[in-house]
Amino acid sequence: MSLALRGVGYRYPGVAVPALLDVDLHLGSGEVVGVTGASESGKTTLCLVVSGLAPRVVGGRIRGTITLDGESVDDWPMHRLAGRVGIGFQDPTSQLSQVAVTVFEEVAFGPMNLGVARDAIVERTWEALGTLRIEGLAERDPRRLSGGQQQLVAMAGLLAMRPAHLVLDEPTAQLDPAGTRLVAEAVERLAEGGASILITEQKTDLLASVADRVVVLRDGRFALDGPTDEVLADPRLIELGVREPAPLRLRRLAATAGVDPALLQPAADA
Amino acid sequence: MVIRWTAALVAFLAVVAVGFVGFGDFGTGIDPDNFFDTEGANSFALIGAIGLVVAFVAYAAVEYAQTGAFASITSQFGTRTIVLMPIAVAINIILGATVANALKLPVYLDSIGTILVGVLAGPIAGALTGALSNVLWTYVLPPPFQSGPAAAFAIVAAVIGVIAGLVGRMGWLRPRPNRPMAQLGVGAVVTVGVVAGMAYLAYLGWTSPAFGGEVDFSVEGSDAIFTVLGWLVLAIVALTVIGLLYMLFVRRDLTATYVVIAGLATGIVAALISAPISANVFGGVTGAGTDFLVAALRQAGADIGAATLGQGLISDPVDKITTFFVVYLILAAMATRTKARFPQGERLIESGRDPSVEEGEWRGASG
Amino acid sequence: MAGRERLTRASHSGLPEWLGRPGPSAYHRLNPLTKATLATVTAVAAVALGGLVGPALLVIGAVLIPAVAAGVLGRLLRLSLLLALPIAISAFLVNLFFFPGGRTELLRIGPIVATAEGLGFALEILARILAISGAVTLFYLTTRPSDLVLDLERRGVSPRIGFVANASVQAVPAMVERAVQITAAQRARGLDTEGSPLRRARGILPIVGPVILGSIAEVEERTMALEARAFGRPGRRTLLWAPHDTAAEGVVRWLLLAGLLVLVVARLAGVGP
Repeated sequence: MSLALRGVGYRYPGVAVPALLDVDLHLGSGEVVGVTGASESGKTTLCLVVSGLAPRVVGGRIRGTITLDGESVDDWPMHRLAGRVGIGFQDPTSQLSQVAVTVFEEVAFGPMNLGVARDAIVERTWEALGTLRIEGLAERDPRRLSGGQQQLVAMAGLLAMRPAHLVLDEPTAQLDPAGTRLVAEAVERLAEGGASILITEQKTDLLASVADRVVVLRDGRFALDGPTDEVLADPRLIELGVREPAPLRLRRLAATAGVDPALLQPAADA
Repeated sequence: MVIRWTAALVAFLAVVAVGFVGFGDFGTGIDPDNFFDTEGANSFALIGAIGLVVAFVAYAAVEYAQTGAFASITSQFGTRTIVLMPIAVAINIILGATVANALKLPVYLDSIGTILVGVLAGPIAGALTGALSNVLWTYVLPPPFQSGPAAAFAIVAAVIGVIAGLVGRMGWLRPRPNRPMAQLGVGAVVTVGVVAGMAYLAYLGWTSPAFGGEVDFSVEGSDAIFTVLGWLVLAIVALTVIGLLYMLFVRRDLTATYVVIAGLATGIVAALISAPISANVFGGVTGAGTDFLVAALRQAGADIGAATLGQGLISDPVDKITTFFVVYLILAAMATRTKARFPQGERLIESGRDPSVEEGEWRGASG
Repeated sequence: MAGRERLTRASHSGLPEWLGRPGPSAYHRLNPLTKATLATVTAVAAVALGGLVGPALLVIGAVLIPAVAAGVLGRLLRLSLLLALPIAISAFLVNLFFFPGGRTELLRIGPIVATAEGLGFALEILARILAISGAVTLFYLTTRPSDLVLDLERRGVSPRIGFVANASVQAVPAMVERAVQITAAQRARGLDTEGSPLRRARGILPIVGPVILGSIAEVEERTMALEARAFGRPGRRTLLWAPHDTAAEGVVRWLLLAGLLVLVVARLAGVGP
């Protein structure tokens, strides 16, 4: 189970400057890759390209190759790709299908569209709800949930389609700390279950706790790419428009203020 | 495909023939004892509209007989159009309910969404949006949004959507800034002529003897949100005239004239179709601000049919010109690349070459 | 603890029995299409019949009696009167005072004369409006819109139509909610939505502009979210459940429509009062 991008570039319709250039990316089973960078650096574009929405739905032009398990997806229609790569967005409410009156039907929406048999849909739906531990919400009206809960319902809706790869575009950007914690726990559980996950975040704290690898984008290219610890400790992070995670920042500020960083160790780890 | 279209055409011609021969005595007075008999069918426009609906039903019935499903009507819409339609329906209903329930203005402003969808996505999408708005408005929505009369006018809303679709297809709403003075002069004469003509008609209506201030149709039971929204509508109507003139003389955008002509044509057709419905189903009165005008015209001696038609010919062009203008503003506020992705979007933006369509290794979507 | 865990797990499998929970009365449990047909036939028949007696009988037979059977009479009366009130008042006043050819004078206020002929006509219009609003409200009170949409989809109507209908119903309250939120936010920033008309009008634009444009701006993300969930796949999708229907109800629907057709044709041909 692997998704690979080789030499991928992408331009939005009507725009001459590429939003993404020379991207090489490999997503293997159970792997969590964090993507960060300043705003407009190409994080969302990368998500759209990996999920196939660009150029299929968004329009524009693409180059390079994208393969799923070694097979090129160039000729795949969106609905075929949808069963293999799931994508979630920032705004929890605009991801709701708008036609489901219960969370159960909301989560079942994707498999229903795929034409999966009814018994299998029911099984997948309960499984997806169980994975995210939101079985208790099944009977609720999805529009009447908190933002964090809605984001989990949206993720469950993706899981029910059983994609091997998940793309999450700033899933916590509009959530409070409690909602962020729910999503972080869910990402860890999904990765343990074998899914590969590409997750973009402006806040690096979440990436520090869930990602195996982090890439930093600048002007549509990878500026940094490596293990999470190394990339997030890289001194170039600030000039790339990214804030390092709070514990690291605290240590750096302490160092510049002349305080012994060792004194901060217990607090930083907590 | 051929059989479906043939069936639709035959059904349309049959309805029109029967309608014109049987009931098409346009202009004869109303029979006060029987409000269904002659008056209901003697508008050519209404007969034509009914013909369109029957033709559509015939097409759908043949398709169902052939395939066991009604898919071709909607499969032609992309997901983007499908997503825009509910939002358009909501805009129609919320603004329409505000104007009808709270403001009692002699306009409707209930077709902004319909015209937006028609212009962006074509006549059939526009017709569906219009018809669906009116049906849902009556059958499905809870008060205070519900409107009893709306469903009866679904056919009018559908025709408005069709006309808007054609206006969009012809590229009438493409911006035309910085045109030479000669063109603008012609545009100004047309625009000012139409606006002045309508103002005169409205003036006749408002100053007729019926308005002595004795009849008080005050705003009743309006929620705060309606009152708040209501003032917007009042402002919009006044701003339209100013805005059109601003477009023409300051931005030198000739499209102002196209907006006025599109609105005028749509308004006249809408009035012709809706007058017989209003007269026969509701006795000319629908609980909205337009009732003033009907009352005024009847006081002046007109029968129901003439009064509703007169009301329509005063209200609808004003309403549709305002609506087209608002839609033009919405289009101007939308990003070019967002517009371009709708089926008729290319016809709504200033023509220019897409800079991204070049070079061999860059490719678009396939499959 | 372990026992409780197992208990919850057990209930979290299989098709939930609460999906499409049936309504409280036999009338609620009729197929949604049957109820929709009944409402439409009642409304159109009231117009086609005209006069006072026809619509009045329809109100009793097709609205009030089913409403009692469904146990929604109180709410029906309240809602349908609310719905009919603005039209009823306008219709009554306009026809009472401005009916052309009215000769029998009942009342005179300045230049305006109320006539008996106007009163008669106003009552007829009123009966018609009550029949229409009653029929529609009865449908609204006993049917979930999503049930009707599912039923139509099972019968072959494209799921895309169903989506538009369902999403439209949800979009109206959502947009109002957005308007209320933006109003509150603008007020917090000192925007004036009270006071003189001019001031209110000026205060409104920063509210409605964002509401409409914000909703339109969401189109892109909603489109992507739907496409990412295979909404664009051609062909039928799987339905989890669909409302119950019987052959007898099908016959009733066709009979109602046939009866209505006969009535309309007869009226057009000039039969009746």
